[in-house]
Amino acid sequence: MLHDLELISVGKTYPDGTVAVSDFDLKVEKGEFVAFLGPSGCGKSTTLRMIAGFEDITNGEVMMMGHNMTHVPPEKRPTSMIFQNYALFPHMNVRENVAFGLDVKGMPKAERDRKVDRILDMFNLDPVANRKADKLSGGQRQRIALARGLVVEPEILLLDEPLGALDANLRRIIQNELKLLQRELGITFIFVTHAQSEALGLSDRVVVMSNGVVEQISPPQQLYRRPQTPFVADFIGSNTLIEGKPLGAGAPGFGRLDSPVGRIEGVGQGNETLAVIPAEAFRIVPQNTDGEITLSGTLIERKLVGAVGHLNVRLADAREISVEVSADRPEVRALALGASVTLGVDPNSVTLVHA
Amino acid sequence: MQSRILRPTLAIYTAAFLLFLYGPMIVLAILSFQSSDGGPQFPIRDWSIYWYQHLLGLTETSRVSQLPVGDSLLRSILLAFMTTVVSTILGVMSAEAFRTKFKGSGPAFYLIILGMMVPGVLVGLGMALLSNTLGIGRAWWGTSFVLHVVYTYPFAFLVMLAIFNRFDRSVEEASLSLGVSPAQTFRRVTFPIIFPGVLSAMLFSFTLSYDEFSRTLFTIGSQLTLPLAIYGTFSVEIYPNIFAFGVLTTLFSFTLLVIYGLLMKRFTAKAARFKGQEEN
Repeated sequence: MLHDLELISVGKTYPDGTVAVSDFDLKVEKGEFVAFLGPSGCGKSTTLRMIAGFEDITNGEVMMMGHNMTHVPPEKRPTSMIFQNYALFPHMNVRENVAFGLDVKGMPKAERDRKVDRILDMFNLDPVANRKADKLSGGQRQRIALARGLVVEPEILLLDEPLGALDANLRRIIQNELKLLQRELGITFIFVTHAQSEALGLSDRVVVMSNGVVEQISPPQQLYRRPQTPFVADFIGSNTLIEGKPLGAGAPGFGRLDSPVGRIEGVGQGNETLAVIPAEAFRIVPQNTDGEITLSGTLIERKLVGAVGHLNVRLADAREISVEVSADRPEVRALALGASVTLGVDPNSVTLVHA
Repeated sequence: MQSRILRPTLAIYTAAFLLFLYGPMIVLAILSFQSSDGGPQFPIRDWSIYWYQHLLGLTETSRVSQLPVGDSLLRSILLAFMTTVVSTILGVMSAEAFRTKFKGSGPAFYLIILGMMVPGVLVGLGMALLSNTLGIGRAWWGTSFVLHVVYTYPFAFLVMLAIFNRFDRSVEEASLSLGVSPAQTFRRVTFPIIFPGVLSAMLFSFTLSYDEFSRTLFTIGSQLTLPLAIYGTFSVEIYPNIFAFGVLTTLFSFTLLVIYGLLMKRFTAKAARFKGQEEN
């Protein structure tokens, strides 16, 4: 099986010994949309730039369609990169920007014009084709950058925080366009972002990185529901993390944990030391409810925002946890500050991880 | 309250300062219109353009011999042109090299800068001795040319270094990622964007070379450049034809500046655009 893109324990160490990325393994299918997600400085952009050929790769190999590209210069790779600041050519108009790649390659004028016209049309850029790029809005400039990168028909499109410079509204619009575009063209997209919502909403798979190391590679839903490391549990969604001593396996597929706030059961092997409970998995239950994990505490803060009630509960060991419950339920509205509450959690929504 | 006193005072000071700066040139310009029997000082006996005609050899024989500037002017312009071409190319290329750190880039930087720091008299004398030792004849197109390049190249280099300092590399990367070779990327993307800087480097090189004196003095040989030729006439008596010539060269410099300004104006619009892109 030939993968469109394959990273084999790719790493980068700077001459002064700083490690930017280490042991990055990834196989990407043709037409897949993969997001690199992580806080700034985690190595996601560096990895993207290594794929593009702008950064030297000091360890491992990069393969594209079965060919080793590790030391191939950027202009000879089947990739095209979209930059956060768009990097449009300031001395050319929109059409010249888009046509540039084909023009330099010496494509016959008729064919070039046809391709450029088609892509300008596709991005609704024909009305501004003869304008200078600086006179246009951020969204339009973003589309120019995309059109310019796509017209050369790359196998893999690399996007470095392409929505970072746009305002929230525009970001949503372009986000939708991107998704549609990717489905339509069937090109592999590698997308770098530090925004969870973009990564989870756009991609087929998400690579979560921290400190130059891959933490987890999963489809968005999986990432959200079953984090594999404490970092991912903390970074994605809003989870409560409770540490404890492993108590071995319980029911098949479940493990148990003895924590300062009571026994917790969750999906795992039974040798893990950390329980991850999503904020929205909690419910308010009567005391001693069967078949559930129950945690008791005192309500110290309550905010009702629309249909969601945000509660802060202080547990028996004085730790405070955030809980999201449905604001419509009578037992939620009946709660007074300082009242004691019992929170129930279905073990199915609890994930056990190694601390 | 403060500005009512401070502002006029500063304005007067600035005006006085400018007058002081340009005073000599203004006096020179006025005296260049002296009549044929007048000398290089006030009063003006009568207004005329006699000395301009004299300069161009359009007067009948006179007691004053014609200023020997024709050939030296041509020589100076040619030398300045050659220097401009070589220094600018070297400046652009080495500034491009200094965009990435390389082994020995520190010492290399200071060695380049040394060319404009060392006293001209010393370099000139050194070059004269060296060419003597090696048996190389001194000439404006040889020994002087080399020193002019050594002198002006650091200026061109520094100008280009400043330009590249503010250059957004991602524009080049975008070009490379479209499959465009590094050479084509430089020609079609980098160069058009840095062109205003190239223009400045050229202007620096040209003007510095055009009126270079001390380095040229020692290395020129028998065919003189313009500054040396004019200096040579000072040893005899001074007539207003030198002033007329001064006015003409000043006009020449102004023309250069105007051309530079017009070209810059055409390109700064693009530079502003470029900056706007980075900010957004």
